[in-house]
Amino acid sequence: MNFAMALDYQSCIDCKACEVACKEENGVQLGADKQRIWVTQSEKSIFGEPFVVLHPSQCNHCQDAPCVDVCPTGASYFAIGGIVMSNKETCILCRGCMEACPYDARFVDDTHVAVDKCTFCYDTRIVKGEMTTACQATCPTKVRLFGDLDDEEGELVQLLKHRKFYVLKENEGTVPKLFYLLPEHDMNYAMNSVNEETNIYTWDEFKPLIEKAKTKRSSQWQDIQ
Amino acid sequence: MARYTIAGVEVNRVSLKNLLLGDKVIYIAYGFLVFALIGMIDVFWDRYFLVSATAFDAGLFPGNREVAAAMKEAVFGSGGEVKREAPWSLYIVNYMYMIYVGSGIVFLVALAELFNITLIKRAAAGFLTLGLGMILAGLFTILVDLNILHLHWMLLSPRYNSGMWLMLPLYIIYIPLIVLEIYLILSHHTNLAKKLALPILLMSLAVEFLEFYVQAKLFDMNSARHLWTTYPLLTFYFMISAFTASAAVMMLYTFLVYRNTDRTKCAAMMDLVKKITLYSVIALGSYEATAYLFIDKKWAGIILFGDFKFYFYAYLLLAVAIPFVLLFKERSSKLAKVIASVSIIIGTYLGRIIFVYGGNAYPMSDRFGIGFEKYGEYEAVKEIVFFMPSWGEAAIVIGSLGIIIFVYRVINLFFSVSMMREP
Ligand code: SF4
Ligand code: SF4
Repeated sequence: MNFAMALDYQSCIDCKACEVACKEENGVQLGADKQRIWVTQSEKSIFGEPFVVLHPSQCNHCQDAPCVDVCPTGASYFAIGGIVMSNKETCILCRGCMEACPYDARFVDDTHVAVDKCTFCYDTRIVKGEMTTACQATCPTKVRLFGDLDDEEGELVQLLKHRKFYVLKENEGTVPKLFYLLPEHDMNYAMNSVNEETNIYTWDEFKPLIEKAKTKRSSQWQDIQ
Repeated sequence: MARYTIAGVEVNRVSLKNLLLGDKVIYIAYGFLVFALIGMIDVFWDRYFLVSATAFDAGLFPGNREVAAAMKEAVFGSGGEVKREAPWSLYIVNYMYMIYVGSGIVFLVALAELFNITLIKRAAAGFLTLGLGMILAGLFTILVDLNILHLHWMLLSPRYNSGMWLMLPLYIIYIPLIVLEIYLILSHHTNLAKKLALPILLMSLAVEFLEFYVQAKLFDMNSARHLWTTYPLLTFYFMISAFTASAAVMMLYTFLVYRNTDRTKCAAMMDLVKKITLYSVIALGSYEATAYLFIDKKWAGIILFGDFKFYFYAYLLLAVAIPFVLLFKERSSKLAKVIASVSIIIGTYLGRIIFVYGGNAYPMSDRFGIGFEKYGEYEAVKEIVFFMPSWGEAAIVIGSLGIIIFVYRVINLFFSVSMMREP
């Protein structure tokens, strides 16, 4: 098992359904920005032509996660399937992980006085055998596809085999597992959403990176039942 | 005053009343410690007693106006301590200042031990205690920044290879070494004290380097701190400015403690420390004059011509220009030296503030993606971050002065570390 998510972000309409569903599921303040899940909008113009790109985002469940390394108490750890978790009990709120995360994916949860983040619904759904996350289940435009990278026949890998994609801040070396699917039929949209440093991948190109990082890290994956 | 001798050290007999209420110094310490307490209450209140409404409450009481109001407050209100607009920067400034300058003092004293500089060795115990006080004040600041109530998990569930664990063994060795050195000086084990000076010297350097490493390198991916490790010359800035401040603190200390008791020795010592200070000021000035040629141009632009320029020139004026003018003369008066010290202390602190706040307001890495830098989330911060540490944070930083005075005074009361001793 190696959980990941593909995002067909061109279909995102910024309706916030995923955000509400996630926050409802996890008891997070509704509306709180950048808590667990969010959508960033970049508005710019090129030669006077304005455009908006929406990037739905959350914790990337990095295969080689720096947030896990800096945590002095082991409160941040890898669960089975490479899902990055944070334990509210043992978190001492040093916020090392918040600083280490290049994606700004972590926040302080006031109600539990601990650091919290997206868990891919590991505790609320995945351990119960479901194969969907709250955000995926609620997205009206089917932006999100959660799945298992180890399952070559599965929907996720099949999708990644047919579409090109990129990941965010690749040069941070964290091997993130949110795959942003490159818009296929709208080159303008595609170009506006990447910059010259963005590498566009095919599945065959990216798979070795995943494999390598998995070999490095999977011995740290913990079973939390 | 009655004395005991324990393990070769003369210990003053101090009554509880004398310990707690003896003189006006302790009242000054208490004054500062009250700030520390208020700050801690503020921070702990935010952390543990701020009950915020969540999505669950909204689900349990749909349509409830109170819940709606509470949620609005939780999301848009001023509650909670870690906010993008008010990151905890002053803590980091104070921690780094205190630890660096404290270990700088320890370094200079150890150096004097090694080179047999009698003038400094006479007051070594006092200087070291002062350095120790500053280091503890820095640790106090960062301990509040950490979550004290949960800190037991550091021991119950430790992950040793994480960066924070680098610090623990470092201080666990370093602080007892300083204490041991003070003990050796007080118990007249001159030769042993000199032998111990070398490891202390090395440890002080390790603290200066590792501190930088831990604070910056480990959090390298943080946009704000990214700058620290991208430009290796900045390590030197941290170290040179720390040594300048250490010399200034030592000069001020000499004046405050010995001006009435050992006038001639005081004057001679101030002259010596003045020289060290002057050289450090010149080194700092040369650094500032040249470093910007090598350091990131954008950062240089922000500091030299951008939003931080006034603070930067104030720092240069206070830490370099004024002390240079005052100390350059062959014979500068005591008053000039005192003014120069205070000016350096304020100036170098300002330097640290510019650095940390500047880094926060202007992350130097234009990284692609969802980072706040790309979407201008820092725009708002630029205007206010510099001026607005939270009230609790500021109080704790002020309170850390109380820690220095308190630690120094208590040790001095028992062991008379401020006495000049012939080595
Ligand atoms: S996105 Fe951030 S929080 Fe999530 S695994 Fe990566 S580094 Fe950790
Ligand atoms: S804030 Fe909590 S989870 Fe994050 S590094 Fe510190 S202890 Fe670990």
